[in-house]
Amino acid sequence: MKRRIFVRNSALASVALPLQLNGFGMTAHSEASHLVQALGNVPAANEDHVLVIINMVGGNDGLNTVIPVAQYSQYYNLRSNIAIPTNKLLALEGQTDIALHPALSGMRDLYNDGLVSIVHAAGYPDSNQSHARSSDIWMTGVSANQYASTGWAGRYLEQRFTGYPTGYPSANMEDPLALQIGYTATPTLQGTTQSTGVTINDANAFYQLIGESSNVAGEDLPCCDAGDLVAFVRRQQVLAVGYSAEIKQAADAGANLATYPTQNRLADQLKIVSRLIHGGLKSKIYFVSIDGFDTHSGQAESSDVTTGTHANLLKQLGDAVKAFYTDLQMQGTQQRVLSMTFSEFGRRANSNSSLGTDHGQAAPMFLIGQGLQKKQIGTPSNLVSDLLPVNPQPWETQRDLAMQIDFRRVYTDVLNDWLGNDPGDTAQILYQPFATTSILKPTIETIANGNWADRSTWSAGRMPLAGETVIVNAGHTLRIPQSVSIHKMEVHGTLDVKPGVQLNITGQ
Amino acid sequence: MPYLDSNSTPLTAATAAHLLRRATAGPRKSEITAFTGLTATEAYDTLLSNVQYYPEPVIHLDKNHATFGQALNSGAPFDADSNFGRVQSVRFWWLSLMANQSRPPSLLEKLALFWQNHFVVSSEVVTEYRFVWRYLNLIRDNALGNFRSFVKQVTIDPAMLEYLNGNQNVNGAPNENYARELQELFTVGEKDFYGNANYTEQDVKEAARVLTGWRHYNYWWNGTTSIYSAFQLNRHDTGNKTFSAKYNNAVITGNNTTNAGNVEVDALISMLLNHPETPKFICRKLYRWYVNPNVTEDVENNVIVPLANFFKSPGNNYQIEPVLRKLLTSDIFFDISNRGAILKSPIELIIGAYRLFNLPPPNAATEPGPAEKYLGNVWWNTLSMQMPITSQSSVFGYEPYYLASRSKGWLSSATLALRYQFADTLIWPWLQVTPSYKLGLDLVGWATSLQPNFGNVAASAAITTEQILASFSEHLFVFPLSTAQQNFLIDTIMMQGIPRSSWIFEWNRYRQTPANLDNFNTVRWRLSLLMRYMLRMAEFQIS
Repeated sequence: MKRRIFVRNSALASVALPLQLNGFGMTAHSEASHLVQALGNVPAANEDHVLVIINMVGGNDGLNTVIPVAQYSQYYNLRSNIAIPTNKLLALEGQTDIALHPALSGMRDLYNDGLVSIVHAAGYPDSNQSHARSSDIWMTGVSANQYASTGWAGRYLEQRFTGYPTGYPSANMEDPLALQIGYTATPTLQGTTQSTGVTINDANAFYQLIGESSNVAGEDLPCCDAGDLVAFVRRQQVLAVGYSAEIKQAADAGANLATYPTQNRLADQLKIVSRLIHGGLKSKIYFVSIDGFDTHSGQAESSDVTTGTHANLLKQLGDAVKAFYTDLQMQGTQQRVLSMTFSEFGRRANSNSSLGTDHGQAAPMFLIGQGLQKKQIGTPSNLVSDLLPVNPQPWETQRDLAMQIDFRRVYTDVLNDWLGNDPGDTAQILYQPFATTSILKPTIETIANGNWADRSTWSAGRMPLAGETVIVNAGHTLRIPQSVSIHKMEVHGTLDVKPGVQLNITGQ
Repeated sequence: MPYLDSNSTPLTAATAAHLLRRATAGPRKSEITAFTGLTATEAYDTLLSNVQYYPEPVIHLDKNHATFGQALNSGAPFDADSNFGRVQSVRFWWLSLMANQSRPPSLLEKLALFWQNHFVVSSEVVTEYRFVWRYLNLIRDNALGNFRSFVKQVTIDPAMLEYLNGNQNVNGAPNENYARELQELFTVGEKDFYGNANYTEQDVKEAARVLTGWRHYNYWWNGTTSIYSAFQLNRHDTGNKTFSAKYNNAVITGNNTTNAGNVEVDALISMLLNHPETPKFICRKLYRWYVNPNVTEDVENNVIVPLANFFKSPGNNYQIEPVLRKLLTSDIFFDISNRGAILKSPIELIIGAYRLFNLPPPNAATEPGPAEKYLGNVWWNTLSMQMPITSQSSVFGYEPYYLASRSKGWLSSATLALRYQFADTLIWPWLQVTPSYKLGLDLVGWATSLQPNFGNVAASAAITTEQILASFSEHLFVFPLSTAQQNFLIDTIMMQGIPRSSWIFEWNRYRQTPANLDNFNTVRWRLSLLMRYMLRMAEFQIS
């Protein structure tokens, strides 16, 4: 295919700075650039990459997690009984438009350290507000009208480790492909015939398995010989976990170097994950969860809205993730681990009268790790134009946050850019190709024809920042109606620059 | 501490279920209800009076054979080519008697299962179906009868003569196999409770001499129309047999008549039954089977010894049924410390679940195809879980009944996985027994049956998670679930961490539009999560 740079003459004439090929900002590519080569090298470099999926079960209230502080009065009007006061919000470095819930100090610290990306308003078209179905959609990685019996991560692992479970463990993979801590196997890891993951019930079961807990029996033992038998069966159940020898070996070799918070269910799980990673377990994906986010009532205390159920959950999340990444850093494994949160849906923009929020649509995702290249994907929901229904009838007072970023775009980036999957294979895994969000890329690119200022033009769901390198993809026409400043630009498509505006390219 | 006193407390649902779990392959809920309020003796009498030795014919269930679906005829000329399927048909017949749900519960099959595992003849070795069949009939016919007569019939049975080489035991070239097992496994036992040997090697040799001369006929002989055993004097050692001090130096006088086989074997059995350890050995084994695999010294002294004394007493003279009655109606049987004290055998797990959940075997005579599917499924499951009926791998029987690990021996990481897999077939049924009968649970149908005015949401409130748990877990476990367990099962497993009120919403939405696949799948998913977890709980594995 012949690539070309096509700058309309009328536009070209109006560009104030000279555009030069090969040497200034704009380059034409007849062959792969360094950038493209660097991207091409990703798969080789990320053999040891690990993905940690954190499921926030119940539907997290995104609007009280990441607060659009620049729109505080609209925010307050939507949910005055649970709105977090401005003076309590946690500011993020370099951000004036958003702030975090006061319980998320751990997440704030990681953000300020450059380890966090926030994906605004993640979701999917035709949102389903049933817990079961929407979880299913997120976990199997399908559209709202599509059904799959396998999980998105399960399909990835089956594609990467051909033939599993036949012939495994093998020299190429001697450990479980994935490991989950939970009582019921998640559909996320479900493969064609069985789960691609090994499931450990809970922290107690893990420490039993590796021989560090004498509490083999657990609770609620009946008297006498029956109690002895129940304890025996439970012990057998723990030992029957697949790959138990490998898990024990990794646990023995690994160690937690940081201090984890106690009374924190998520921290208990991440502590195990970190130890296994440190101990050399080669599992590609870990799945952990924290439940309780279905906060229909009493999510905040009326006496102090910064406390309550939701605050407790967010504190557990933030503190657990903070301890986890501190631990990984001390171990020297931090660069290998990317974490991603998700919840089956977000909650209503409006609070209800019982200090809670009902099922909604879009909600933010957090990604945590060193490889992230964007602080934010998408823009904070506009609390006027991003509310659904778009044109409400007078009685339609309950408003939802519109989706901006299809969650499968994030999955696409995680698979391609983090786990090094082939983009064609990824499109198969997700049943169709999805545009990148550039969350793990140093660049930002067009994903459609459009205006510079229109967030839907861009992979990152927002306008390019001054320091970013912009790629205009082949087949796309980018309209530039106002002066803009960027670091570099690669054009494979078409620029439509309004006469008189400046395209300021600062990089070399 | 109560021991063999007759239990006088009317049965509660829990004690009725306990009796039925131990005396049958597992209770149906209606049986528990029917037994609740009876005395232990009334309940036992019911289980006894329900005994039917031949309630249904053995149906040929080999689909590849022309006589598929017809009753087996033991007098038909033997046809080696169709033998395998006929052995299988005999097993299937017995399994269907255990699994039957159209007749009232009886104690015969569980007791026969005990005796077949006591006087083991394995169809892995004795492979001819007529031998297997005849032997199984002998076991069932004598299960409640007289132990003395039972031992005699077993000793000269064609299948046993083949299995433990009595057939090759001839004067001058004795085969000691049966003589040893007769003492070690069938009567006196190898050692007493304190570990002292009960007989000597000399006793084995002398007993073998007594047993010489018996042989079976027509094993695997194509075209023959009967099998039998007979005594041949010319193969018999007619000398005197002298036993050790363990038997008070008894001498069995050599007999030189054509009736020598009977005379000397009867004398041998009398000698064995006069050994003080024999009644204890049998009673201890029955106690382990029915009450608790762990026999403490206290139990030995206060249960086994008195029961053995009764067993051998002149008034009882080794009748089995009165011993069983005493045991199954005793205080010790119902004592709380003995409930849940046995890890379910595969038969108890599988057939027990099918009976608890009303999943009956089709009638083999009228629906041979479906019956073959159902019983084949039971057979392959019990086989893979190490309890292939009539097909033990050794004369010792199924390992968990003789190894020190006792009933715990049923569980390994492999069999645990198989038990999980079996539970999953109940949750996600796949075996289509008949076009209208899938072998598994219809959980949504079950929940629907609990819901008044299903189609009218306004008329009746939705059934709650608590009601569903109560119904789903009814009689599933030996002990009631603790409050903490109930909360865990509802909140963490069924609701996956979201409030219980969401169930009401989801269930009502399903009631409003049951045809909507999302609505159906949502409630089915929750019910499956709950039931699947319960069927995997350690508590479900005990009886």
